[in-house]
This record gives sequence, C-alpha cells and structure tokens, in this order.
Amino acid sequence: MTLSLAGCASGSTQTTTAAASTTTAAGTTAAATDSATTTEGAAAASDATTAGSDSESADSTDFATGDYSSVTLNYWSMWNSNEPQGEVVAAVAKAFEEKTGATINIEFKGRDLSQVIQTSLEAQDEVDLFESSYQNISKNFKDYVYDLTDMATAADYDSRSYAALNQQVIDWAGFLACITEQPQVGGVFYNKDIFEASGITETPETWTEFLDACQKMVDNGYQPLALDSAYLDLAFGSHLERVIGQDAIINLAENGGWSANAGVISAADQIIDFVKAGYLADGAPDEYPSSQNKIGLTGKVAMVICADYVVSEVNNNTGTEVNWGLFNYPSVEGGVNSMNAYAGANSLAITKYSQNAQAAFDFIMYLTSGTNDQTMADTATQIPADPHNSEPAIKAGSIATLEATTTPLIWGMGIDYNSDKQTGIVDVIAQLYEGKFASGEDFAKALDALY
Amino acid sequence: MSKKNKQFRERINWKKELSLLPGYLILIIWIGFTAVILFWILAASLSTSKEIFSGTVLKFASGLHFENYKDAWQVQNVSRYFANSVLYSVVACVAVLLISAPASYALSRFEFAGNKALRFFMIIAMSLPAVMIVLPIYAFTASMHIKGRIILILLYTFMNVPYTTIYLLNFFGTLSKTYEEAAMIDGCSLGRAFWTIMLPLVQPAIITVTVFNFLGVWNEFFMALIFATTEDTTPVGVGLLQIVNSMKYTGNYGGLFAAVIIVFLPTFILYLFMSERIISGVTGGGIKG
Amino acid sequence: MKKHRATIILFILPCVLSLFVMYLYPVVRTVIMSFFSIESVTAPARSWTFNGLANYISLFTSSAFLTALWNMVRIWLLGGVVTLALALLFAVILCSGVRFKKFFRAAIYLPNIISAVALATMWIQYVFNYDFGLLNGILKEFGVSNVKWLGTDMKFWSMLIAYIFGATGYFMLIFISGIERIPADLYEASTIDGAGKVRQFFSITMPLLKGITKTNITFWTITTTSFFLWSKMFSPVSSENSTLVPVIYIYDRVFGTASNTTRNAGLGAAAGVFLSVVVLLVYILLEKVIKNDDLEF
Repeated sequence: MTLSLAGCASGSTQTTTAAASTTTAAGTTAAATDSATTTEGAAAASDATTAGSDSESADSTDFATGDYSSVTLNYWSMWNSNEPQGEVVAAVAKAFEEKTGATINIEFKGRDLSQVIQTSLEAQDEVDLFESSYQNISKNFKDYVYDLTDMATAADYDSRSYAALNQQVIDWAGFLACITEQPQVGGVFYNKDIFEASGITETPETWTEFLDACQKMVDNGYQPLALDSAYLDLAFGSHLERVIGQDAIINLAENGGWSANAGVISAADQIIDFVKAGYLADGAPDEYPSSQNKIGLTGKVAMVICADYVVSEVNNNTGTEVNWGLFNYPSVEGGVNSMNAYAGANSLAITKYSQNAQAAFDFIMYLTSGTNDQTMADTATQIPADPHNSEPAIKAGSIATLEATTTPLIWGMGIDYNSDKQTGIVDVIAQLYEGKFASGEDFAKALDALY
Repeated sequence: MSKKNKQFRERINWKKELSLLPGYLILIIWIGFTAVILFWILAASLSTSKEIFSGTVLKFASGLHFENYKDAWQVQNVSRYFANSVLYSVVACVAVLLISAPASYALSRFEFAGNKALRFFMIIAMSLPAVMIVLPIYAFTASMHIKGRIILILLYTFMNVPYTTIYLLNFFGTLSKTYEEAAMIDGCSLGRAFWTIMLPLVQPAIITVTVFNFLGVWNEFFMALIFATTEDTTPVGVGLLQIVNSMKYTGNYGGLFAAVIIVFLPTFILYLFMSERIISGVTGGGIKG
Repeated sequence: MKKHRATIILFILPCVLSLFVMYLYPVVRTVIMSFFSIESVTAPARSWTFNGLANYISLFTSSAFLTALWNMVRIWLLGGVVTLALALLFAVILCSGVRFKKFFRAAIYLPNIISAVALATMWIQYVFNYDFGLLNGILKEFGVSNVKWLGTDMKFWSMLIAYIFGATGYFMLIFISGIERIPADLYEASTIDGAGKVRQFFSITMPLLKGITKTNITFWTITTTSFFLWSKMFSPVSSENSTLVPVIYIYDRVFGTASNTTRNAGLGAAAGVFLSVVVLLVYILLEKVIKNDDLEF
C-alpha cells in the first residue's frame, strides 16, 4: 500500500504512480463507458502475435521464438487486473505462452508492489520479473536484479529504446538493471486553443518570452498557469534548475546555505514577480487536483507544469477534450540552462536469482517493443516504450522530447532530495507561490531556517 | 408505543421548553450540518465528475447516474474489498469470542496467580499506539512467509482480545455462582457448564461487544494499510483510499462517492437497528480507543 | 478450584497466547529495535548494530519529527479543549430534559461509525472546496471573500475542524454516562435552594465529572498519539509540514517514501517508543493531578 499513497509521495515514483494510474484512468473510463475499447485493444494484442509478423516496424514476435515449454515465469505486476495496462499485459502473456510453451503466472499487486517487493527480494521469493519505477529499481533494488547488459546487446535493445533513460539507469545502478515499459516526460503542458486566441504563435523559449505570453493571455481574459500543491516541487524545481542546475539544488537541499546562493534569490524574485503579475490561475496554488481541473472545466486556464499523464488526468476528470500541446520549460536569462527535461519510466526487471532469465527477458522484449508496445501505448494512452512506434495524439511531441533529452532530470529537480527537510522545503515553496514573501532573500532565509 | 402515549399525556411545559431553546438550537445546527454533508455525499454519488467539480451536484442536471454504483462495484473493485471486509469482520468477531469469553469467565470467577497482572496487561495493551507493535509483526510475517488474508484475520482477532475480555468480565462478574454450581451438581463439567449455561446468560453483552468489534474491524485502516499488500486481501477502508487515489486519475468521482455509500451502508444499517447497543458498548465497556 | 485447574488453564491459555503474540513480543522487540541501527524493518536481528541512544538523538534533532510533534501537541491541546468542551456541552444539553434525546444522541454519534476515509473525502472535496465549497458558500452569504481552507496556513486547522467534528460524539457519550450517574436529588435539592442551571453546572456537574473527564483526557491522548488517517487524507500525495504527525513520520521512515527511499526502521521504532511513553506519562500525571474522589467510572 505504501506506494500507492506514500507512493504518490513526490519524487519520481510519484510520477510513476500517477502516470500509471493516469493511463489506468483512460482505460477504466473506457471500460466503464465503452467496454469494447479495451477489449479490442487486448484482443489486438493477441492478434498481433497469432497473426504473425507485421513487417513494418520491429516486430514483437522476434522475441517469442524460443521453446520454453518447461519454463514457468512468476511475474509480479504493479498494475491492477482491471486497468488497461493489466489487460494488455495479460493478453500478451497469453500469446507468449502459446508461442513458446512457457507458463506465466501473473500476480497483479497494484502500486503497493514497490513496498512488498523489497521484502520478497530479500527473502528470495519465487519472482522472476517485476515492475517498478526505474529509479526504484536502479537505486533500491539494484543488488537484487539481473544485469541485463549482455542480453540487451544481443537483442539490439539500444535501437528500440530511449538512450537517455538507459543511461540514467546505468548511472544509478552501474549496469542496465531494467527495461523501459512506460516512459514519461515532463514540461509545460498547455491548451493550444488559448495560445492561438491570445495571438501567441510560437511557444516561449526564454523566461522573458514566457512572461510576454502570460501577459498576452491575461490581456485576452485568460489565466496563464494552473498550480496544485502536489506539483509545487516540480514547478519551482523546474525554474530553479534552469538558474542553478540540478546538482546545485541537490547540494542545497542536503546541506542548506540557500541564502548564500544568488541564483536561488533571483529565481525566487522572478517567481514573486510572476505571482504578483497575476499569472497564476484563480485559487492557485490549490489542493490537487482542483487547479489543473480548471484547464478543462473553465476553458480559461492555459498551462500546467507536470508530466505527460496530466493530459489524460484533466481530460478524464473534467469530461473535456483539451487541445493539448507541450513545450520544454523555458530558459532563464543568466542561468546555467541545461535545457534538460524531467523524464522517468516504469520499467521491468528480472531477479538476480531467477532460473529463467533469458525466457523472462524475451517476454519483456515481446511486451515492450513492436506491435504489442503499440497496443499498450494506444490502449493505455501512454508514450510507447519503443521510439519506432507512434504516440497517442494527445501526447504529440513527447517522443521527440524524450529523444532530445540527454540527461533526464529527476522529479522535483532535487528539491525533495533531503527526506528530513523535504516537507519543510515544499511548505516554504507553497508560501512563495502564495505571495507570502516580499523578496527572494526572505524566501531563502525561510529555507535556511529549516537547517 | 407506550412511550409515545406517555408523551401525549404529558402536558408540554412551554416555559421549560423555552429555557431549553438555546440547547435545541445548538443540537439542530450540528445535526443539520451532519445531514447536509451526508446528503451531499449521496447526491454526489449520483452525479458526474464534471458536476461535482463545478459545484452543481444538487441540481442533477444530467439526471441520476445510478451506473456509478455499478462502476464502483465492478470496475473499481469494491465488490472484492467488500467481500474481504465481510470475511475479516465475521471471522475475527467469532474468533475473538472463542478466545475472550472463556478467558473472561475464568478471570472473573477464579482467583489465581497472575489474574490481576493479566487484567492490568490487557488495559495497558488497549492504550498502546499501534505503531508500537506493527514493526515486529511485519518483520515476523515476512520472515515466516505468512501471506494473504490469514494475517489480517489473525491480527484483527488478537487486536480485539483485550477489549472484549475486559468488557465481558463485568458481565460474568454480575452472574450468580449458583447457576454453574447447580449444573455441576448435575454432573456437568466446568467447561460444559460454561458453554451451555453461563455463555447464553451474557448473550446481550456478547451481542453488544460483537457489534462493536464488527464496526472496529470494518473501519480499521492502519493495519490494513500495512498488511494488505495485494488487491485480493484489501478491505474496504484501504480499498476506499485506493479508489480515492486512483479516481483522481480515472476521473470518475461519482463512482468514488458511490463507493463511499456502499462502504458506509452496512455500518449505517447496523447502526439504525442497534444504535442503543453500540452506544452502550461505548459507555458500558468504557474503554475503546 | 483445584479440580478445575485444567479447565481454567485451557480457558486462559488462548487469551494469554494471543496477548503474547500481539502485544508482549512486539513491544519488547520494538523497544530493543529502538537502540539499534536497522535499515529495513525486515532485516534479521543478526544484521542489527547497537547504537545506544543515537536513534533518539537523531529523532530530536530531526526538524521533520519536531514539526510532527508540534502538530501533535497542538492537536492534543487545542483540539482536546474544543472537542471535550463541545462533548460536554452536548452531554449537558441532552441531559437537561430535551425531547428526542435518543435521536439527537444517535445522530451526534453517527460520524463515528462512518469510515473516516469517506468522511475526510467529503470534507476535502465538498466542505472546504475553494470554488463551490459549503463553508465558502456560507461565507459568501455574509459577504466575506473565499477562504483557502486547504492553503498552507489553513490546512492544519481545516484538518483539525474535520477531525473534531467526527470525534465529538464519542466523548459526548462518555460524558452522558457520567452525568446520568449523578443522583437526581442533588439537582432537586439545589433547585429548591434557588440555584440556576448555570450554577448547578459549575457546583454539581463539573466537580462530579472529574473522573469521567480524566477518562476522556486519557482516551483523547491515546487517539491523538495514533493520529494518522486524517493526516494521510489531507496530504495524500506526499507528507506536508502542515499535516505531519508522528505516526506519518514513522510510516515514511520505516517504509520509505517514493521520492526518498532511504529507510530507517530503528528510528521508527524509537519514535514509537517515545509515543508510548507520552501516553504513559499523561496517564500518570492525570492520576496525580485529578483525584478519583467521585463516582467510579
């Protein structure tokens, strides 16, 4: 349970949890209103495999060639059985069983998996493969998972995945610890119609352009930015990262000394001016998900800083089809401006002690590439794990953003790094957006008071 | 009925009623508030998310959405959570009686070494914060590979032993010893005398304490949060929280409130019929945190 | 007695065993854990390393724990005063001869039988909602502008209000049971002497309710130290300063949070021991301060 609640607890798993459920969302709603959709999707998955190869893209069936008739794989899934992801996974597993003779036992554990799995890994329970956030796997479970480097090379995995995500895993774990199943990307998500109506023809690339755009929106009767308490760390983190960079934020979060950093003060001053100018939506920062819902409900709120799952969240919550677009957080004049974006993933890993690592790996590749991956992306409205596939329309631009990212940023860009101070820091950030500080110095002082 | 007649015969003392007016006012405001929010939950369970988020729940502009209940029950897994909770509460309520009733009887009837200490220990146990005991239990079940529903069944049973035992103590204490003495003269063993004669005599107390335990288990949250690790073992309290968390993404808030109503209903019905007993469970037993 | 020994042992044994498994062993082990450095709660005892009072020291130098503690103290003191005062007020009103006493009593207790998850959801999504919430709707009638009930400076109070609303009925019942035990002739006598309702309350009801009040304070202390669910519901995504309480702190440290997965079971155990000691101290203190000279509860 921890992780589906605490799970949401900021940081990267938050994203993953949220993302997971988002996509779920799409699916469950679909299942509720039109159960045919998901069933079709799942059916398509098995079609793809039984009908054999579809010559165009890299085909999933490449990976279902072995004879695994004596093999039993125990698969612990972070999805629920009634979610679209869960349905697709079940259908693909069935197809894999038919092709290879293997037996796959899936246990749908839900988001709590991340909490349970630690104990089970320590006790060497019978698990061959499991899902979690890639950060969790690479950092916390790295001692318990299989080094996939050789098998991945043999399968030419690099050509079917996002280099930045893989590199991040290797940086954390020291080896390729997991295979991407559900990538995510962050940035500024906006309503294209409002930009058009306000005469904004190009998405802003610098903070000055961003402020100009906001002013245009206000002039045309729109409210520029939605902000909910749950995403405060990401919102301010995105800005501060452009000014001083993620490593500097991590350092400050760990050791304090915020007041001594001119970048922190100027970043906070910029946010204070931003708030004073009235660029936040009415009521923001609000209690999640009130503020972001206004994008759909009122049609007057234009943007939100979040990860890609926010688009289906808002659409589902409010029963509207917002004309979504995405741009990278603008650069800030005088800052270090890495221009990286937040990215993350839910991934699949194989246990170190699994007796059937190759079979498990083949199944993972079967699931996360080619037609099966496309089915997953379409059914669950998520970014495909295989860049050769195409993204759902409301997430247009996300594959390109992911491929352009060299070093993904972590959730909150380091704001949440210090577990002891994290709640305090976020609290001070909330006050910043509530307009409680007269100057950046006051804000930095309030942060230092926590140490 | 007789009561009603009595009220009719009683002349309304207007002066007295007037002096009570401020009291009535306070009560009515408080209860009115309770009624409003309960009604709102009910109305929300029949509305769409869009209506809930735009504050137009009470208008029912798009009609009554009874399908929310179907969605909650089937798609959102409430049926499964519900079945788990029924299992946990029924089994735990029975099991705790099997453990507590004999112990309570023995403690009230016989002086033996450790009698006082045992009572004292149970009172201490009732006031312990749950965090004081969960860590070792969690470690123990993990290392013993104990999995599934059995963990929560055992925990809910053991958790209610101190309260149930202490509660029943007072009732066994009030029974005359002549009952079982007479039975034993007839050749009954002590055990038999207890099950066939003494236990039925405290039946009202047993019903009260069971209703109380049922409510406790049904609404329990903390233990379930830690020990219910798959959707197959999750009871309603934590299940609701999972629905709350995922509804934010699934967007069906109407379904969420339908789930709230479904979860609330069994305890509410129980309360309608047994509110007197439940209330006497609070005040009579004295201690239940 | 002697001839029943076997039966008595048989009757007592399951109870003793369950107490041992559920309470004695865990408590002892938690106390021991609090003096060791333990990362994972499931780590076997041989991997623990003794570190004396280090857990306790880092507990009281942790700003998060101190915040949690401060919130708990505020809940205990302010929430306690309000809850017990409301509970006593309702109890006195209900015992003053109002009609429909049973109905009122049942209705006020009602929130206690509703799943708190459901109650909290309702408060957050409806009563405290910024745009269309019940409270802001009422304020609007009086021409007051919308209040951000769930903003950083109001969230704690909003949570406390919601919690008090749910808890009052329980403490009211206990007060009622105390008042009902006060002999009616005491009131009759004082009425003849010309004492008004208010004076009766302070000269008869209050002094005779000392023992009951003590019971209520003890219960309030126990529920406050276990405060968890409301905090979880008011900050479902990640723990926040305004709603942080010790049990949330323990939960986050023992099982890790998503953003920060470092875990410290020893620290969690120390915090648990500390909470238990708090309950014990309050209990002893109450025994010393309030003498049980009235009706035994």
